[in-house]
Amino acid sequence: MSTSIGSGMLLPAPDTRKLLIKWIVALLVPVAVFTFWSGESIINAVISPATASGGVPTDPVSLIQAAIFTTAFYVAVLLLAGYLVAADSGRRGMVELWIDVLIFALAPLVLVILFGLIIGLALCAVVWPAYLYGRSLVRKARHYTPPPPLESLKVMDAEQRSALMSRATAGGFWFGVAFAVVSLIVDLVYFFTGSLPSILLIWAIIRTLILPVAGYFLGRLAGVIALRRALPQRENGNGGNGIGGGRNRLSRRQQLATLSTTRASEEAKDLVPNDLPLRSSGAQRFYLILLVAFVLFYPVLDPFLFGSGTDGRLAGYGDAGYYVILALGLNIVVGFAGLLDLGYVAFFAIGSYAWGMVGSTQFGLITGVLVNPQIWPWFFWPMLLGAALIAAFWGVLLGAPTLRLRGDYLAIVTLGFGEIVPVVFRELDKYTNGVNGIVGVYSPALPGADWTTSTPYYYLILALIVLVIFANIRLRDSRLGRAWVAIREDEIAAASSGVNLVSTKLFAFAAGAFFAGIAGAYHAAKLGGVSPDNFSFGDSVIYLAMVVIGGIGSIPGVIVGALAVYAINQFILARLDSLASDPSNLLYTIHNGVAQVFPGFTFGNIRNLIFGIILVVIMIFRPEGLIPSARRRRELHVSTEEAPEVGALDVVPGAPGFETEVHVE
Amino acid sequence: MTLILQELVVGITTGAIYALIALGYTMVYGIIELINFAHGDIFMIGTFVSIAIFGLFGITSTSQPTGLTLASILIVTCLVSMLVCAVLGVVIERVAYRPLRNSPRLAPLISAIGVSLILEDVGKLWKGITFVTFPQIFPQITFSLGPITISGVNLLVILVALVLMVALQWLVTSTRIGRAMRAVAQDREAAALMGVNVDRIIAITFFIGAALAGAAGFIYGLQYGSTIFYIGFQLGLIAFTAAVLGGIGNLVGAMLGGVLIGIIGALASLIPDSILPHGGDAWQEAIIFAILILILVFRPSGLLGQQVPEKV
Repeated sequence: MSTSIGSGMLLPAPDTRKLLIKWIVALLVPVAVFTFWSGESIINAVISPATASGGVPTDPVSLIQAAIFTTAFYVAVLLLAGYLVAADSGRRGMVELWIDVLIFALAPLVLVILFGLIIGLALCAVVWPAYLYGRSLVRKARHYTPPPPLESLKVMDAEQRSALMSRATAGGFWFGVAFAVVSLIVDLVYFFTGSLPSILLIWAIIRTLILPVAGYFLGRLAGVIALRRALPQRENGNGGNGIGGGRNRLSRRQQLATLSTTRASEEAKDLVPNDLPLRSSGAQRFYLILLVAFVLFYPVLDPFLFGSGTDGRLAGYGDAGYYVILALGLNIVVGFAGLLDLGYVAFFAIGSYAWGMVGSTQFGLITGVLVNPQIWPWFFWPMLLGAALIAAFWGVLLGAPTLRLRGDYLAIVTLGFGEIVPVVFRELDKYTNGVNGIVGVYSPALPGADWTTSTPYYYLILALIVLVIFANIRLRDSRLGRAWVAIREDEIAAASSGVNLVSTKLFAFAAGAFFAGIAGAYHAAKLGGVSPDNFSFGDSVIYLAMVVIGGIGSIPGVIVGALAVYAINQFILARLDSLASDPSNLLYTIHNGVAQVFPGFTFGNIRNLIFGIILVVIMIFRPEGLIPSARRRRELHVSTEEAPEVGALDVVPGAPGFETEVHVE
Repeated sequence: MTLILQELVVGITTGAIYALIALGYTMVYGIIELINFAHGDIFMIGTFVSIAIFGLFGITSTSQPTGLTLASILIVTCLVSMLVCAVLGVVIERVAYRPLRNSPRLAPLISAIGVSLILEDVGKLWKGITFVTFPQIFPQITFSLGPITISGVNLLVILVALVLMVALQWLVTSTRIGRAMRAVAQDREAAALMGVNVDRIIAITFFIGAALAGAAGFIYGLQYGSTIFYIGFQLGLIAFTAAVLGGIGNLVGAMLGGVLIGIIGALASLIPDSILPHGGDAWQEAIIFAILILILVFRPSGLLGQQVPEKV
């Protein structure tokens, strides 16, 4: 690979030049926006803490965290630049890509800057489908179909591989140069207008030197990563055409292509060169670095990003977190196993009461054991598992009578269970303190963590979410997960194929309830209390709406759905009234206008009205959810593709070319 | 024993109202397999419409019409309430359900929940967040039947419910529209091939179901004298339970289920504090659902539902 150094990189070939311009512009715009928004202030605070202002943390631990995040961020971006330049097949135009980047990277950034994290992301959930819908309309109107992804897939020989390598290096290097130059110019302007201290000027000069060098090496690294995804030439040299043995990946692809275009194109998405490198799994690896760094250091970054009020925001995210867990748990029952559960809140209630009754003085009242507030909070950790197991046990108990039921009879039994459980908790006041609920539930205990602030809760829920997502993915891909999907699709066929209906269904209920139990214990600890009013049928319905809106059966979809529903309810609708009290706001005039027709009108009164309209509109325009699962997307895809094919069988069966004309799914 | 008989009367009256609402659930479910969560809220709108019509007639708690005036006012109010709800039901079907007819199964369910939330807030905007009282229009007469007493309102409620149920039964079993409805419920595509206008029949189903909810709203007001915006959600849940108990999709089953649940609820309130803390009233819902679960364990398709053999 040493051939990549030299004139080829500094003065790239014309086609590489075009790719460079395409990707450097695409990446530079969002990165620059982020840098000017707060990336710069983070770096400045790290370089010279004295210049930091506006309540940002200046203690060493926070600054180290901020520095790690910043490094990870810019490293990932440079890697991305190299990778994308190398992985792009160059068949898609620049403008198309720039519009995509504008919508998918810049729009969320700007929305988040303007409206805060959760609302910004929630608005993205509106903007993105709207854009995709509009794009499909435009494409239909212009009779444009994107080129099929398979045609450009070639086996790479040594020459092409080294060309790809030098493209990657050039990508990293030139992106580094462009970014360094732009930042330097801006910093010089600041310096000469006098608002930049000299120490930061020194940093700006160092940075200008570092960035291209780092870009060069990171670009090479990205090239190596990209090459791993390129189709390799056979090593024993068979003319380089990839023929010989069904083991070759290309011929496997050709076989796949004759069987199923959908699967072949899905596999082709990961290969280099690629028509849509932004969506390839190679690029997704870099997004993951960005995401993990961001989420991990978020409590430190928050004041840089949004100013004061970090604790309140973190508390909000802590609440959003248990909705994510609940939605993921419900997704197992409804999404994977296809069992409609309208009483999921019952398991959440059981989990909440499990820690509520054990982790408070209530435990002493029930059992007579002396509760020591010093050591009792430690029991949170075993009880987290305990609450989950108790909930899972009740999940099995509920599952047992429903085994013979089908469809909506099952739904009504779960609904009934969801109604019974809160009544039991409310009326058995000897144990649960009845309608008043339990107060003074202990926070968890952990050395070094201050549970009066929201930061430990943020990390706790983060860890729990990661665990739950991991468990969900493993369950989905396990033998059990496939059995769930099988009974969802066809119970009788599944049973005939040897799936044990009883244990499979019970496991689904137990797994769903298990996660609700975890969320419940966390909820009780975070709130510091449990009240029977928090667990109504309306809550079950909200959880179900999260799953369906996000995309039933799809793990990322369900997470997005949970965040979107939570954001709409708690961040947007709950704030309308305070926004309307500001005379400069548009809502103020709307409010006054409506209040003349309906005296005493507040936006709080029509929260559900707005939420209901949003639900109906989302369902009408995107009945499969915001991010449908791959399986469902494929199903929908097939049904749209099959219809013309039946009529368009214009090649006689048996004639040459018939095989390619008819795709067997 | 007297107490039990007396509660039985209460139970049958309440059950008649449940049954009327349950019919709407069961008809819609039978024809498009959708749990129409908005149905209970249509019933709530029905109670509000009835109050509004009484207001238009200038009836307050002090001015008490009698005789023929009273009868005509009652009939007009009931009919208008039914009509308003029926139109509402058709509009909801057109806007929120028809675009989703060929979507994944849960999409219309979420849409229905959305409509339910919308209607609740419409009720809230219209009549506020407190209980609204009905004018006490019906004279306070009681009949003694041995040891138990039956009020005139009770009789009227049961009468109205009975008349509507018989009319519905006749409509479904003996008319052309009813036959078309049953055909669509059995096999939508085959019905369409036989020349049934499926969209129209579904709209008619919603029209009838919602009209029954409107009537239920009217008699609910007479019986209980007050209503509030979330009443539809509560009663709707129980009525849906009644529909499932009887075997969802089955009209007679819905009536039976409604009356049965009314009776169970009324009898449950007799349970003394010594057995259940705070007495049976507090546990009413839990008891209803527990019995429902028990019944479904032994009869998985409800009391009168058919055990349909699975298609292979």
